[in-house]
Amino acid sequence: MGFVIEGIEKAFQLILTLDKEIFIIVLLSLKVSLTAIFLSSLLGVYLGFLMAVKNFWGKNFIIATTNTLLALPTVVVGLIIYSLISRKGPLGVFGLLFTPSAMIIGQFILATPIIIALTHSAIQGIDKRVRSTTLTLGATESQSAWMVIKEARYAVLAAIITGFGRVIAEVGAAMMLGGNIKGSTRTMTTAIALETSKGEFGFGIALGIILLTIAFSINILLHYFQSKKVGN
Amino acid sequence: MNEPILKIKNVKKIYNGRTILDIESLNFQKRKIYAIVGPNGSGKTTLLNILNLLERPNKGQIFLNGQEISNKSNVDILGIRRRMTLVNQDPFLFHSTVYDNIAYGLKIRAISSTEQLIRVKNALEMVGLSNFEKRRVDQLSGGEAQRVVIARALVIEPEILFLDEPTANIDQKYIDIVERIIKRVQKEIKTTVIFTTHDLSQAYRLADKVISLLDGKIIKQVQDNLLWGEIVEEDSSKWFNIGENIKFAVVTEKVGPAHISIDPRDIILSYEQFQSSARNSFLGKIIKIIEQNHLVKLEIDISIPLVVIITRESFFKMNFTLGSEVYLTFKASAVRLF
Repeated sequence: MGFVIEGIEKAFQLILTLDKEIFIIVLLSLKVSLTAIFLSSLLGVYLGFLMAVKNFWGKNFIIATTNTLLALPTVVVGLIIYSLISRKGPLGVFGLLFTPSAMIIGQFILATPIIIALTHSAIQGIDKRVRSTTLTLGATESQSAWMVIKEARYAVLAAIITGFGRVIAEVGAAMMLGGNIKGSTRTMTTAIALETSKGEFGFGIALGIILLTIAFSINILLHYFQSKKVGN
Repeated sequence: MNEPILKIKNVKKIYNGRTILDIESLNFQKRKIYAIVGPNGSGKTTLLNILNLLERPNKGQIFLNGQEISNKSNVDILGIRRRMTLVNQDPFLFHSTVYDNIAYGLKIRAISSTEQLIRVKNALEMVGLSNFEKRRVDQLSGGEAQRVVIARALVIEPEILFLDEPTANIDQKYIDIVERIIKRVQKEIKTTVIFTTHDLSQAYRLADKVISLLDGKIIKQVQDNLLWGEIVEEDSSKWFNIGENIKFAVVTEKVGPAHISIDPRDIILSYEQFQSSARNSFLGKIIKIIEQNHLVKLEIDISIPLVVIITRESFFKMNFTLGSEVYLTFKASAVRLF
């Protein structure tokens, strides 16, 4: 057990001295995941909204697909994107493999179904009178849609935060698509995997503590938004 | 007569093969108050939704200021929709402040925030809720919420204001307030007000014209038993005196000239006078029989004509014919005063 205690001591030392390497890794993780979540939210909230308010051909198929994708293993996403963007793949010419962009694509694909599914149920839970009220007050279709999303704001934010929680903590896609290159694509999770296998417990534990703190804060935030949920 | 602000012609609305609205012609004049009365399912709300362009009729035309609007595309309709507004029977307030709710119609019309401030303040003053701007809507009572909803509609300064059962879901003490607001709106903003109600006396109290709907059609039913006379006090109870030696027992505090109406469904017909708690009973003669779908409308002469509506079943069971002598019985509380 000695090496664990030693590791924890080292970890606090690294965190308290604001170790530069750790700092770079955390920053990169946040940059990649926040970018991915931003893009996922644009598409996911839009699609989730459409699925809740409109009837269109193939809607049930899309709902079933989205729900299946919720449980998508991260390594499978890694595998699929890898085969698309590797030098030999159809998108190989863009040279995306082992770049932060590749990781963003992977995380985008992981987070979007979550945001779609949760937005869908959030919007469905909103009182139907919101739409009719905005229309009687003279709103256009898009003004009306915006009000519906605003009424569902806490639940939609919860959807986005849940998506962020999934991607910040995933390791499979980040490892396969980013390649764990120091200073360029090394995120908290890939670094923990690597440092642990190297026996550098202190470094791994330090990142683990930071990751846990982020996850904990996310959940506090999530809980806050869920308790404020309006509508119905 | 002036060009009506709103006019409908041969409008039909069909749901699942059932005609729920069938109106040949209906005109609404500028700056007047109209009440649409009728039982549940008579098509009142559908009529309001069609007039407000929320629903499209299956057939027929709608004209606003003489210009047909029922043939316009959804894009063209926006400008027209923005000249009127509807307050739902079970209204919804956005989860925010009173100010945000009332300012919504102005925001989406891109009206400057300084003007928004002034207009919201005026609208709140109009409904008697000055300084309520910062309140959150979940802190409002039912009556306050209803008035915020009306203020939210008024702030737009609509040419036509539709109110679907504006006093159906609120306490008695707020009904007076809402009625006063409706009168004030018509006078001060010069809006045409069209509202639906269950309460016939409210309709006559507020409206310049009352429109009665039954099974989606306009009927004259309400005007039929509409009588003018005087309330007098005799033997320490109140009577409505119409002349012709006819007096109805009524329940009221006031005396003097008044209008009354008796719902034709509230009158019981029998061949013999019977003992009951109802205080009004008159012998009359059937002078007219009109069949209306599953109902039969009878006109009965008790020296003045009264209209009675009974079901087709009871009509045949009782074997009524023209000239039959029958007793009409109805409670004093069935006589509505206004």
